[in-house]
Amino acid sequence: MSAITTSDVLVIGGGIQGASAAYHLAQRGVSVQVLEKDTVSRHASGVNAGGVRLLGRHIAEVAMSKEAMQRWHQLDDELDADTGFRARALINIAADEADLNTLAQREQQMHGLGYFHEVRLNQQELRERLPFVADHCVGGVVSEQDGYAIPFHSTHAFRRAAQRHGALFNEGEQVEQIRRVGNSWMVTTSAGRYQAEHLLNCAGAWGDLISVMIGDNVPMSYSAPMLMITARMPHFATPVVGAVSRPLSFKQFENGTVLIGGGAKGFADRANNRTRLDYKLIANGAKNAIDFFPIMKTASINRMWSGLEGYMPDNLPVLGKSPRAENAYHAFAFSAHGFQLGPVIGEVLADLVTTGESRFDLDPFRINRYDRKVL
Amino acid sequence: MNDLNAMCSEQGFKNSFDIAVIGAGPAGMSAAITATEAGARVIVLDDKPRSGGQIYRNVDASPLKQPEQLGEDYLKGAELTAAFSRCGAEYLSGVNVWHVGDNGEILLSENGETTRLTARQIIIANGAMERPFPIPGWHLPGVMSAGSAQVMLKSDGLVQDDAIFAGTGPLLYLIVAQYIRLGVRVRALVDTTPKANYFDAMAEIAGAFSAPEMLLKGLGLINEIRRAGVTVYKHAHDLAVIGEDKMQGLRFTSGGNTQEVQADHLFLHQGVIPNLNITRALGVEHSWCEQQLCWKPKLNQWGQSSLEHIAVAGDASGIVGADGARLMGRITALKQLQLLSLKSVAECQSDAAADLQKLQKMQRFRKFIDRLYRPIDLHRIPEDDTTVVCRCEERTLADLKQGFELGGRLPDQLKGQTRCGMGPCQGRMCGHTVSELLARWRGDRVADVGYYRLRSPMRLLTLQELSLFSDLTPSNNPQTEVKS
Repeated sequence: MSAITTSDVLVIGGGIQGASAAYHLAQRGVSVQVLEKDTVSRHASGVNAGGVRLLGRHIAEVAMSKEAMQRWHQLDDELDADTGFRARALINIAADEADLNTLAQREQQMHGLGYFHEVRLNQQELRERLPFVADHCVGGVVSEQDGYAIPFHSTHAFRRAAQRHGALFNEGEQVEQIRRVGNSWMVTTSAGRYQAEHLLNCAGAWGDLISVMIGDNVPMSYSAPMLMITARMPHFATPVVGAVSRPLSFKQFENGTVLIGGGAKGFADRANNRTRLDYKLIANGAKNAIDFFPIMKTASINRMWSGLEGYMPDNLPVLGKSPRAENAYHAFAFSAHGFQLGPVIGEVLADLVTTGESRFDLDPFRINRYDRKVL
Repeated sequence: MNDLNAMCSEQGFKNSFDIAVIGAGPAGMSAAITATEAGARVIVLDDKPRSGGQIYRNVDASPLKQPEQLGEDYLKGAELTAAFSRCGAEYLSGVNVWHVGDNGEILLSENGETTRLTARQIIIANGAMERPFPIPGWHLPGVMSAGSAQVMLKSDGLVQDDAIFAGTGPLLYLIVAQYIRLGVRVRALVDTTPKANYFDAMAEIAGAFSAPEMLLKGLGLINEIRRAGVTVYKHAHDLAVIGEDKMQGLRFTSGGNTQEVQADHLFLHQGVIPNLNITRALGVEHSWCEQQLCWKPKLNQWGQSSLEHIAVAGDASGIVGADGARLMGRITALKQLQLLSLKSVAECQSDAAADLQKLQKMQRFRKFIDRLYRPIDLHRIPEDDTTVVCRCEERTLADLKQGFELGGRLPDQLKGQTRCGMGPCQGRMCGHTVSELLARWRGDRVADVGYYRLRSPMRLLTLQELSLFSDLTPSNNPQTEVKS
């Protein structure tokens, strides 16, 4: 058996949250080992739609998401890398009166909380920003400072920045056992043994399995949100586009390709690292895209795929200290909207490790928030 | 017929078959003939308007006045296409299969509409494609593959005067010979077969003598080209296309000298490799074949893949040639008939025995051919930084080197870093090059490097067509919303 590798912190999971945590910790002089069962950015962090979205965030996430957004705008400089980030307005389209009512209510709620970054658009304003939108779309809401990035590049940008500060990444090492011995965490992987004072669970769609090893139960499920990308087409949309109530989401990149998401889920075969697409359901996403933007009818689909993602019943992440184990922290199950939060989650985790607290209210994200509820 | 078969034939299951065969070339046609004879309900799906595959393309409807000029090996396909059209298999021509699932689901596109069908057994017989030939300038207009020259010839009777043919392998000599017989002027044949291959191939000469008629056929073609007065440059290497916006000539080294031949058209060819996109997207296991320098699905002698109900026959399984493909089609069909309980184990084995033996003999000859026409490293693994590796996204060797430096150690990682392989061909044209480049840079075996993770659709599909493939109403459930 190999010698035990020791560090201050062990991070389980080489996705954007794990890589960002490693970066923030290493930057503060903390020694970090990252354990990744496949390769860095292999799953949701590498294959998601790349939306950097503040618009429409759950109230509990708005403060963190705003902070993350500011970081995104300087992230390439901070990490000395190309994350592919482009600042683009994000517009959610209202398709009918009911959508407009939803937006009015949301505005009232947000203004009441002192958030003013979501601005409603009337039909004409919508058309000015999206000239190719279908006639039946009646309005929308915009967040000006949103955008998109290239997920694979972004996650690797964090990885490389973390490495420059001394963090070490161990790929192809699946965690097999976690034990608490004295004041240390002892972790055995498929390739080695590790010991550290602090343990971070950033295991994404496998976060529930790591939680159980740490000693926390969690009602996480996992699924395979589906995406597709078209061949290049003439430029027709600058903003990133979503819809108030329909499962539609797309962005046109500078090279003309259009990435279409919308949340339809395929089939997740987590044990085998595989996903299968549900073609009838993804067809529905194609239909929505054409309904809102008839110009997309003739777009050619180049590739369809899905990635494995962890979900909580309330679609909010698990984030914070373990309530039952010392010096263990969770950040997983971001329920398909964790990518944008990446730059701030690393900071939150680094704060928890080095100071024991966070400046954000993490109560809504407690791992045991369902303990007394019957699901 | 057993009960299951009866169930599948009932009304309401009209889109369900015992066996679905993808591809109507020699392997697919002979599989369909064998399977229907034994009573299986078979459907054959093919993207071309007529059966025959690449090799027998238009054999029963040639646009040429004298199709016999294309040679006996071509003409003999007519007998097979005729038997196929009589066999009673359902046959959909001109359809694009864009998804094959490991659950037996097949999605195909016909006249802009997608249909779904299921089959208990699937035979993938979608043939081969030409090996990429990544030399400087191969992406320029005017440069095509020798295979496309043959497609034009067989489909439309179109030819190109004064073109250069460059590369190695039987198909290259065949198309040059066909051009000569049709009276088309050929500027030059630049043969890249290295001298060393002739010596190396001698080790497999016993295999060559197992099929002397094929050996003679090959020699005959080369003599025919020489006699016709075509300039032949031998043992050429360091090929580079001359030209800025379009091809103007070819530069290469032959006989110790740098040569330049001017021409507006160049047909490149250095052998064929299995068409991987369906088997890869399906997720069956593949292995790297050192003999043929290509990825192949892992198969048993019956053509069965790592998924029992998915078999692969013909060149899609590894290059076996038209005659080998025909045998394999029969063999895989016999095994599937046994799995469908339409033949006993004993019947299956006795029916296949002679074919299995013949196939083995052919494979010995194949070893010789593969050795003789093994393309040189420099023409497979580019060394010039300006060489375009990914033609869709125009990524050069220099771009890939940079991606490797940034951590792109696996094909998918390199793709993520550089976009190499992300274009409309989904890596068809760069996959092998990338596997071999990474193996060299890492100092590993190609088998350890692997290949791209492929996904459907295997053909470009319009959003409109996909949108119509739906019997669901839009969901208004915000719980399913994902916007990251």
